[in-house]
Amino acid sequence: MAAAPKHSPQLFESIEKVEITSQVIMKITRHCHHELEKQLDPNVNGVLLGLINENKHTLEVTHCFPLMNSDTDEGMEINREYMLEMERSLRQVNIDYQQVGFYQSTYLNTHCDRNFLDSVFDYLEEMNEAIALIYDPLKTKLGNLCIRAFKLSLAAFELYKEDKDFTALMLRDKSLTYENLFKEIPVVVKNSTLTNVLMCELDKVQDNTSFFTLPTSSYLEKSMQLLLGGLDEINQDLQKLNMHQRAVYKQQTQIMKHVQERKDENAAREKNGLKALPEEDFSKMFKPPPPVGRLESLLSANRIASHCEMIEEHVKSGIGKLYLADSFMS
Amino acid sequence: IRKLKRREAVVSTQSTGASEARPVALPVRKVIIHPVALFNIVDNYERRHDNNKRVIGSLLGRYDKGVVIITESFAVPHQETEEEVSMDMEYAMRIGELQKKVNTNLYTVGWYSSGIIINEYSSLIHAFYKCQCPTPVHLTIDTLMTNQKMKINTHITLPIGVKNGTEGCIFTPVPYTIQGAEAEQVSLKFFQQLRGSKKTPNFNDQEQIINCCDEMISQIGVVLGHIKQVLAGEAPADKELGRQIMEVVQAVPNLESDTITNMLNSHMQDLLAVEYLTYLTRQQLAVSARLNQIL
Repeated sequence: MAAAPKHSPQLFESIEKVEITSQVIMKITRHCHHELEKQLDPNVNGVLLGLINENKHTLEVTHCFPLMNSDTDEGMEINREYMLEMERSLRQVNIDYQQVGFYQSTYLNTHCDRNFLDSVFDYLEEMNEAIALIYDPLKTKLGNLCIRAFKLSLAAFELYKEDKDFTALMLRDKSLTYENLFKEIPVVVKNSTLTNVLMCELDKVQDNTSFFTLPTSSYLEKSMQLLLGGLDEINQDLQKLNMHQRAVYKQQTQIMKHVQERKDENAAREKNGLKALPEEDFSKMFKPPPPVGRLESLLSANRIASHCEMIEEHVKSGIGKLYLADSFMS
Repeated sequence: IRKLKRREAVVSTQSTGASEARPVALPVRKVIIHPVALFNIVDNYERRHDNNKRVIGSLLGRYDKGVVIITESFAVPHQETEEEVSMDMEYAMRIGELQKKVNTNLYTVGWYSSGIIINEYSSLIHAFYKCQCPTPVHLTIDTLMTNQKMKINTHITLPIGVKNGTEGCIFTPVPYTIQGAEAEQVSLKFFQQLRGSKKTPNFNDQEQIINCCDEMISQIGVVLGHIKQVLAGEAPADKELGRQIMEVVQAVPNLESDTITNMLNSHMQDLLAVEYLTYLTRQQLAVSARLNQIL
């Protein structure tokens, strides 16, 4: 779409916060909840439009539109046409048409997987300041609006460019851990004055939030289940790593044995006065086993960490609510 | 405004003449507007071209037994001068179809315009929308804020006039409520907290609890004050209000204090155990990350 994308670390780090208008948040909310009611699989995503404000180091998101669930190829084709069509149309009504990222809804923080990483990477390649907005509909239902903005850290971005599957050496070089895989950018909600006037008008809107629900077991149970699942995954990954190390070790011993045999043979031959056999290049004969990709384990670790955070927050507020309930009942 | 409506009422448009083939207009008794649509309209108004005094666009939603629910809206390019009005009908239909593809149960239910004036151009545009849906709803929102308020009005048209003579249509108001889905209410409440203030919003759970508690305390204070007044004989006692207050008070379950303390304690223990476990997991992850660096 644009000229060759400039990739410079400065552009990458230049965004310090993201400003969203309440209109965008409401549209995202409506879309995610609408889809949630229809089916439980929250693969809901859409495109964010807006502009970059270089002076204030902010990314302003002013508009968004939803995309269809595109698991099939033709679904993706339809989505592409739809995006082009929307872009053309929005230009006619003076709406910013530059894509600045995408939004996605998540189910208890399980969004952090390979697809997500791919999408973030794609958007970042095109535009170095692109962000991914994650919206948690379950948490909002419990009464607390939850919207966060993420992007890949610079180190992760460069690594992913070179190789889709990280190896342990690469990780150590860039000192990349699960903590600095994604970078979170603070989100600010900013409204124009006319929108503020509209909000004053909407003051009489009823509010029936179930904010004071006690920490119910289902939410906690599901989070714990997901936590256990994540731990299982990490365990499997560790086993794979172990096997790989064992294979490497075995191969090393094999190579050494072979070299030793050759030496012995050569010594025997020399004794007998025959020509010595050439020392072959053993590395070609014994191909080393392929290094284990560390990307999955990084993602799992990230997921587990975010689950833990979520549970902790939930528990803290839950204890507060329990004391509140206590004061009512005694 | 009423006078304006009556004057423009006898405008006969071409399409109402050819109305035999269209479906019968469905009765519309009430309109429910989701706040998202209104935000869209205001944003559209702010981005208009300089030579347009008002903006128009389509409303999307669904129709449910006499109630029209408006859930979304989008802008349609249009020009309006003293002599003529033109709007891009292709655009409206195209975007309507696109939206239907993505959100399967949204279809055009009407149109909006900013500003409170309804004139002959409105009936022309309304005639176009009559081809899209049987009873289009016309929503006006006063972004110019005459009377210091951003007034919202919803209308539908009803045919008036003499049969086989001059026919026309009149815009009659329809009652509306602004109501959103539960999650929208939450976000709305959230935005209202930062209305007019420059500070950034806090998505923290605990701050939210504190805010809600404060609100609840003030609300309880108001109710208490009213009760005291009634007891002192200053304010008239309202039976309905009394019954509602009694319902609220009785909503607290009446259990023995022993059972309550036991329940609360066990729940608290569960929560604390979970928190300890998650803490442990996090420490383990951190240790493994450091080890990965070393190995």
